Amino acid sequence: MAAFADILKQFFYAPDEDIGELFKLPAQAGQMTVFQPEESAAEYLAFVLEQESYAVPIAQIREIVRAVPLTEIPRSPKNLLGVIKIRGEILPVYDVKVKLKLRERAPIVVGLEGEAEELPGSARILIVRDLEGDIGILVDRVLEVIRLRPSEIEPLAPGIGGGDYLLGLGHLGKDLFIVLDVHKALS
Amino acid sequence: MTSSPKGLSDFVAEATEILDALNRDLSILDQRRGEPLDPGLVNGIFRSSHSLKGLAAMFGEQRIAQLAHHTEDLLDRLRLGRLDLTDPVVDALLESFDAFQVVLRETERQEHSPDATQRAQAVCRKLAQFSETAAAPPRDDALDRLDLDASVRGVLTEYEEHRLLENLREGLAIWKVRAVFDLANFDQGLGRLNSKLKSMGEILSTLPSADPGDGTGIAFDIIFGSRTAAEKLKSALAGISASLHPLLLSPEREAAAPGGAATLAVAPLPSRARPGSSVSPPRPAVESRLATRKDPPAEAESSERLLTQTVRVDIGRLDSLMDAVGELLLIKANVARLADQASQSGKPAFGKLWGRELHRESRLLERKLDDLQKGILEVRMVPLGQVFDKLARTVRRIARESGKEVDFVMHGGEVEVDKLIVEALSDPLMHLVRNAVDHGVEGPEERRLLGKKPRGQVSVRATQRGNQVVIEVSDDGRGLDEDRIREVAVRTGIVAAEHAAELSERELQNLIFLPGFSTASRVSEVSGRGVGLDVVKTNVSRLSGLIDTQSERNQGASFTITLPETLAIVRALVVSVSGRVYAVPLNAVSEITSIAESDVKTVEKREVIGLRGKTIPLARLARVFQLPEKARMRHFMLVVGLAHRRLGIAVDELLGQQDVVVKPLGGRLRHTVGVAGATDLGDRKPVLVLDPGAIIEEVVNPERRPELV
Repeated sequence: MAAFADILKQFFYAPDEDIGELFKLPAQAGQMTVFQPEESAAEYLAFVLEQESYAVPIAQIREIVRAVPLTEIPRSPKNLLGVIKIRGEILPVYDVKVKLKLRERAPIVVGLEGEAEELPGSARILIVRDLEGDIGILVDRVLEVIRLRPSEIEPLAPGIGGGDYLLGLGHLGKDLFIVLDVHKALS
Repeated sequence: MTSSPKGLSDFVAEATEILDALNRDLSILDQRRGEPLDPGLVNGIFRSSHSLKGLAAMFGEQRIAQLAHHTEDLLDRLRLGRLDLTDPVVDALLESFDAFQVVLRETERQEHSPDATQRAQAVCRKLAQFSETAAAPPRDDALDRLDLDASVRGVLTEYEEHRLLENLREGLAIWKVRAVFDLANFDQGLGRLNSKLKSMGEILSTLPSADPGDGTGIAFDIIFGSRTAAEKLKSALAGISASLHPLLLSPEREAAAPGGAATLAVAPLPSRARPGSSVSPPRPAVESRLATRKDPPAEAESSERLLTQTVRVDIGRLDSLMDAVGELLLIKANVARLADQASQSGKPAFGKLWGRELHRESRLLERKLDDLQKGILEVRMVPLGQVFDKLARTVRRIARESGKEVDFVMHGGEVEVDKLIVEALSDPLMHLVRNAVDHGVEGPEERRLLGKKPRGQVSVRATQRGNQVVIEVSDDGRGLDEDRIREVAVRTGIVAAEHAAELSERELQNLIFLPGFSTASRVSEVSGRGVGLDVVKTNVSRLSGLIDTQSERNQGASFTITLPETLAIVRALVVSVSGRVYAVPLNAVSEITSIAESDVKTVEKREVIGLRGKTIPLARLARVFQLPEKARMRHFMLVVGLAHRRLGIAVDELLGQQDVVVKPLGGRLRHTVGVAGATDLGDRKPVLVLDPGAIIEEVVNPERRPELV
């Protein structure tokens, strides 16, 4: 068992270390923005869902893990993809793409060969802190940690986006990040 | 709170333990109202409050310290005979116990509410009242007339003097027992002697003797009061190095001491503990008569239990764990040696012998790990009696409040189950017992009219059946009212009207466990039953247990809870269905057979199967879980459930057996139906553990099927 665990450890992405690396970038970037002390930038984790870039406040993210195989929960709500085990803890993993109108149906990621979709190698599960117990969200790819000042987040104009789970559009250079309220996107 | 969380949890754990002991003693005291006071008991309660006071003061918990101080004060007067044990006194003591519970619970949560503080203060005032009315007893000269060494007399405490005097007044003979023990193990010898003496009288004082006898031992003088005749005492003490000396009362008034009893030299023996001599008999069934009086109702129910995260462990169990670890280390050394050999020689030639040796070590390792696992499980086991003691008080209180006469009988308090289960059982049991007294048992008048004896009976029985524990809560009251249940079920839309008539008695009775059934009906409507029984059921299911009820009109009702003995590790059957792997707790499976598709018949479109002449419902797991299904000629069938409520669960393959640690799904998934939790089979993904109880529910009583999310 112990040997097996070691193999697993080497094989899998070590999430805690990885996010540490990400943290370093914005820390340096932050020092260049001392000129506007009245407006403090907040850190967001940026990730990709169906080619769109999204961002969530980094404080809500507990860790990022590789999309390990999930176990399906029979008769569960459609947006519950299944459960994973992280260090002995069983956590549910949800799909947000349907809620965000990126897909018609939640992907089936568990089941027999042929029944389930294969996930891209870049797929990750973001573990989000939640009062009811932490939860996972499946994303296609994790980008980076970005810093956004409130003034850099543009409120949504009518006709753009369709729900209170979208908080606004973050601008960083030419890039556009859709700022998401994870908890609302899950309900 | 100034104390750190760690210190706090220690305090709470220890205080809870003291309170448990206090509660037990108070219960006994309460049951024996009207009987002569047992001085040992009162002294025990006094000591408990005293330790609590010290503990609370140490941790800066002023409210508890205050309460304990007042309780101790009262008890001190009680044991010194300055206060009689009247009903108000007992009630005040019981109230103080409740206040302790409330305050301690707050302390645990690091809260400090004015409510609890006021309650504690009110109790303190009440306790203090008794001290004002107390008067000192008249002085008696009997002590002066007793042939007691002045040096001994001088060191007696006030309490000891008081007890000595009491014994003299009652005309008991006073003895001095001189005992000499080996210094190395005097505690064992003394303990043995004490328990012998206690069975024959009262130990008034134990003093280290002034003259030690020979050089190697330690001598004690035990002042002992007893009615037992000298010859009997002498023979009882045979085999213990102790000698009896009567302490005579000088004959100014009457001579109470037995005449002519010279020093009885009892054959001195080396004071080795004899095996078995100090083993206490198994706890007998406790039957308590409960007085029913119209006392002011005590508010808050005492199901306010404290969940402590500590377990008190028999040192013997730890020792055997330690032994197992020692042997594991030995095996580890052997394996290391074998590994060395392999790396040094590198020759395949000695492979065979080496392999055999390695194999032996691995088998040994397996066995020892097994021992270790069993040992750990044992450490987690605690007797159910811990909960039962609390139930006794609930019964008594509710009986008193509702003006009923109820005997409470408990059996099987010595049955041990996992600590977690005991904690989690406290509330459901409390609920059932409360219902039984409140709504099951009739008032004395009504009972008389029905031709029953006026005293009702509520009993709790625990029995061990294999690795399951069965707890039955029953009463001899009016039973469930099926007509009312049917009516309420139809009215609340739980069962369709045309369907209701077809329901069997058993099905009807089990409707009361439905969520919503209780809230829809007023408590008293269904002869009072159905009060939050869905909660009871949920709690029991969470422990992977089953609850069932059986009732006979005017004969009484009984609730049976069947539970696994332990939650932590269960032996599971690993099965697969439609390519998915599931684990099924083996303790729920009574039988495994192979069935052919052609054996499956239907009754009203529901599938059934014959099992040795009996027809039981069949559920295909793939269909229950709505998984893609492939046609198969043969299935494996797991028979789950008990006697009258059995179900065959069809699965595709059996993959084997394994011990698994079940993790609850928790969080947002805690309501998942049919799944008890998840476990790890060494595979990469978690494997779900089924909850056969819930699946039986769902299939056998489809009208109760929980709504899917």
